[in-house]
Parts: sequence; structure tokens; C-alpha cells
Amino acid sequence: MSANNGKQKGAESGAEVIVVTSGKGGVGKTTTTASLGAALAMRGKRVLVVDADIGLRNLDVILGLENRIVFNLVDVAKGVCKPAQAVIKSKKSNNLYLLPASQTDDKDVVSEDEVRAALEPFRREYHFILVDSPAGIEQGFKNACAGADSALIVTTPEVPAIRDADRVVGLLSAKGLEPRLILNRLDLNMVARGDMLSVPDVQEILGIELIGVVERDENIIVAANCGEPVVYNQKSKAGPAFNRIAARLCGEAVLNPYLSSESLWGRISRRLGVA
Amino acid sequence: MFAALKSFLTKGGSLLGADRGSKSAAKSRLHFVLVQDRTGLSNNEMAKFKREMVAVIEKYFVIEDRELDIQYQRESDCTTLLINSPVHVRRVKTASERLEVSSDSEDDEAPDSDSSTTGSRTSRRSKKALAAAAS
Repeated sequence: MSANNGKQKGAESGAEVIVVTSGKGGVGKTTTTASLGAALAMRGKRVLVVDADIGLRNLDVILGLENRIVFNLVDVAKGVCKPAQAVIKSKKSNNLYLLPASQTDDKDVVSEDEVRAALEPFRREYHFILVDSPAGIEQGFKNACAGADSALIVTTPEVPAIRDADRVVGLLSAKGLEPRLILNRLDLNMVARGDMLSVPDVQEILGIELIGVVERDENIIVAANCGEPVVYNQKSKAGPAFNRIAARLCGEAVLNPYLSSESLWGRISRRLGVA
Repeated sequence: MFAALKSFLTKGGSLLGADRGSKSAAKSRLHFVLVQDRTGLSNNEMAKFKREMVAVIEKYFVIEDRELDIQYQRESDCTTLLINSPVHVRRVKTASERLEVSSDSEDDEAPDSDSSTTGSRTSRRSKKALAAAAS
């Protein structure tokens, strides 16, 4: 529901800061952040993606910008450089920018207040600020959530990932954030033979709004190898999926093809005119 | 005939194996583990909670089955505690029976041959239930 009535701030009134988090590691937070950032930029939005995974940065390599880093989030937070000095423009888009993490610091080198203050000057310049959270629920996670207006939770249809996602839903709710869910790495063949939780299963278990589904796709790995977000590959399955999520973040009502997959038989029977 | 066809079509997914795979195991295990995670209650505390809930129900109703199913359902702005009691409520206790249960609780056990309900039997049943649940 909040997909439609969520904050739709323009650059004039300040960016919407969205934290991308998951609890469990390795479910696709960084890929999601980079892909959504690129997809939003393709829609003409000015986007800053922020790597809040201090000490284990990776958003730079997913975007292919690892050779251009001079300053980072910690430098901005500590006043070592001006905010604009730390930001790197994407190779592919004039609308997409990266604020990298420090690779040599610990996660507790900055406080929540420092992160919040560091992001503040960027709000005027962007439509969206996507913050890539580290795994876990400790200080790094808290820092990533510090300045957020809303949250996206990435999970895969697996027991440990969903369990951790549920934990994070609780923590975010306590902070007053109402997270929306991205279900990543869905395998429709496994769902069809009953060996993977389906989209409705995950929705039922987690009970939060679903903003998008991304199928398991080898192109994600190819894209990461090349340092180019998968959304530039429109022939992939994942690219258009991230584009749909980006459209929903912009407040557009886009049909979710995966929501009707469960009622395939219903659709067939409707076509046959029996339902 | 349409109904049969519709039924076949809507159940097609499960006929094709959607209910046979490992997904149902994943689902039930998640339901179990999330109840614990969401409440932060230990196994012992949860067992104690269930025992006490059964005791409260038995104070007012005559019931047969004592397995409570406890779930948490998260809505957008609140979490709902769902206590689903598949107990067969056989009848509501009268005011005097309720009084008896609370005052007469040290009454000793007697053979429980039949489940027809008298005041004293009700009292025994509830005590037995508590003992069974506690063991």
C-alpha cells in the first residue's frame, strides 16, 4: 500500500532515503542497491547510492567504480572532505552517483548521528538516496538505517534468509520504518515442483508489502563480473524485474507478473470460462 | 461438470507436486521458528504460557483437546497474537461449577469413566488436564 502513498519527494523537497537491508548476508543487497539505483537513474531520477558496509565495501565493484574512489562515507562523516568530493559519478549514467564506504575502518567508527548528518547535505541534490546496509543487525545495520525514510528488505525464498528478514522487519518496525519486501532469486521450476517457497508463501509468512520479485538469473553474475548493473541488460530476467521495482518506487502501479503465477490454473480456467 | 473441472484446474498445482516437495517442510519450520523469534520466549516459557492459557480456558469451559496453536501475524502496524485452540468446547460451565473449580481445587482424583459432565467431574477433569499439560 505504501508503494502508492509512499513519500514521493522531488529534488526540491529533498531525497527519499531508502535503506536496503536483509539481516542475512549474501541474499543480494548490494546487487539490488546497484540495480535499483541504475534503474531509477534510467527513469530520469537523480540517484545517490551509498555503501554503508564499512570495512567490506562492494557497491563500488558492482558499479565498476572501484578505481575512482578518493574519499568515502567515513571521510564525509568525520569532516575530512566536503560531501561533494566523496561522490563518484557512474560511467553509464549522468544521474547515478556513488558514495563509497571506507575499506579500512570498523563499522563502529561512525555513529548513527554522524551518518544521518553526513547524508543530510545530499538530500537537496537527489531524488533518491539508496543506502546499502551491511548484513547483520549490529552497529553497521543501525548506521545504515539512521537517516532512512523507508526500507527495502531483500530476501531469498529460503528458511534462513526469511527468518533473518523477519527479525529485521521487527527491528525496523520498532524504528517506525515500514519495510517493503523484495523477493530475490526465485526459481519458478523449483516452485512448480514444490521445492521452493512461492511468492504467496513468503508474503504470508512475512506479512509485509511485496514491492517486487527477481528471478534467479545468471546475468546477475555476468553483470557483476563486468561491473555493469544488470538493468542495462534488458534481455535478462533480472533487469526488467529491477526496472519494475524502480517504477513502483516512483509511485507507478506496475503489474507484478509473479503475483499471478500461483493462480495460473485460475487464469486458465477463467479463459475456459469456468470460473 | 464445470465444478469438477474447476476443482481440477485449481488443484492442478498440487497435483503437479506443489504439496509434495520440501517447501511444506520449510513453511512449517519457519512458522515454528518465527513464533519463537518474534516473542523472544524460550521453549520453557512458551510451554508455561500454553499451560496457563489452558488452565484459564478450563476454568470456564469443558474442553477435550488441550493443544493450543499459537501464531503471530504481522500486520503493517501491529502484531497480532493468534491463539487457535482446536479444543472441543463441550459446554460452558455454570457459575457454581466455576466457583467449585476455584474453591474445590484440592479435591482428590476419582476414576474418570465417562465424559458426561457433572460439577465434580468437571473439577477433576480440569485438574487432570493441568497435570497432563505440566508433565
